[in-house]
Amino acid sequence: MRVKLKSGRDQRKFIQRIEELSGENVFACYQCGRCSAGCPMASEMDLLPNQIIRLVQMGLDDDVLRSKTLFLCASCFTCESRCPKGIDIARVMEAVRHILDPKGKDAFGPGEIPPELAQELPQQVLVSLFRKFSK
Amino acid sequence: MKIHYYPGCTLKQKTTALDVSTREAMKQLDVELVEPEGWSCCGAEYPLTEEKIVGLAAPIRVLRQVQEEGGDVLVTTCSFCFAVLKRADKAIKDDPLKHKRINAYLRDDIKINPLTKERKTDFEEYKGEVRVLHLLEFLRDRVGYPRIRERLKRDLKSLPVAPYYGCRMLRPQKEMAVDNPDSPHLFEEYLEAVGCAAVDYPFKQECCGSYISVSLPAAATEASYRVLRSARMNGAKAVAVTCPLCFYNLDHRQDAIKEAFLDFQGIPIVFFTQLLAWALGVDKALLGLGEHSVPADGLFSEKSSPEVRP
Repeated sequence: MRVKLKSGRDQRKFIQRIEELSGENVFACYQCGRCSAGCPMASEMDLLPNQIIRLVQMGLDDDVLRSKTLFLCASCFTCESRCPKGIDIARVMEAVRHILDPKGKDAFGPGEIPPELAQELPQQVLVSLFRKFSK
Repeated sequence: MKIHYYPGCTLKQKTTALDVSTREAMKQLDVELVEPEGWSCCGAEYPLTEEKIVGLAAPIRVLRQVQEEGGDVLVTTCSFCFAVLKRADKAIKDDPLKHKRINAYLRDDIKINPLTKERKTDFEEYKGEVRVLHLLEFLRDRVGYPRIRERLKRDLKSLPVAPYYGCRMLRPQKEMAVDNPDSPHLFEEYLEAVGCAAVDYPFKQECCGSYISVSLPAAATEASYRVLRSARMNGAKAVAVTCPLCFYNLDHRQDAIKEAFLDFQGIPIVFFTQLLAWALGVDKALLGLGEHSVPADGLFSEKSSPEVRP
């Protein structure tokens, strides 16, 4: 993967904000990749969980914020249970979703569910989905 | 024994099988279930960022109601509710600032009795003394497997059942502290106590796709396929679940799995309480088997699990 490095106030602010929101120390990560190895959604992701952490460490907010990965994380905490450094990556993902433009569109809104499917879905899935992926 | 029981949103609507079978089974074990008055949705997701603290208000409100009714234990069956209630409780126990903030939100709570229209506004603050237990923990620690074994009325003849933990019950381990997140035993021991043979397979704590099944169905189909294939390959005749969403993904998605993966063969999905209720002699009509899209009737027949004469 090729990225353009940047170093400035925005980058430092991004890292600080992620750490503040998630309560996790992203610099503890040494890129062993166990999170990505165990991630059930890894095959669908454009950036693997460990790559997201690496980009956050470098403060590359643009690359992180446009990744599809943010909306593939099911918060199953498999990565959290396997991380040798105790980082809760689901919390980092949530922090990044939190930073996304608050006036922007829903990543997944109620309008995208076909009515006949909505009839059979359990309430629990709708509540959790919108809590994660809608503004 | 009388305990507080939190069913959660889905159990009252789309997945009544879990609620009904829990009630029937508990009746057989002389456990009276009391729902906290005026309970609301727990929020389904525990807020993972420090700034979404308001997400803790709903679960703490439920716990405060239990406290008000004099309860010290709250039992849930849905893994999502269990995770949210338990983590919210721990969060305010560990962090005095969160405790203060949430109780400040809840101070202005108003409760209106639907019958008498009486308004209640004066609430005591939640002290953090209610213990949140999953029904599996409750059955192990408070009821006890020997008592369950004593009361079994049907012999399930070591039916090979694969326990499926899913994501929320075990992780994050430092907050849930239920069992080892990579090699759990709680569910296996329970199945053995009920008279089934627990099937060991490597995907028991893998994710089924959770809410991704709505936003990206193909990904959840594949995740569910991996779990079910693994269970079948290890000899399971059924998969037991605790969560309505796992049930939806593993049961209702099987048609989609068949379309996507030609080698897939169906397998019935059951709730852990359906097995318990059946083994305790509850009538088949009371197990909620009508909600299954993959028929599970075959597992609950007089022939495969005869009554035991005392």
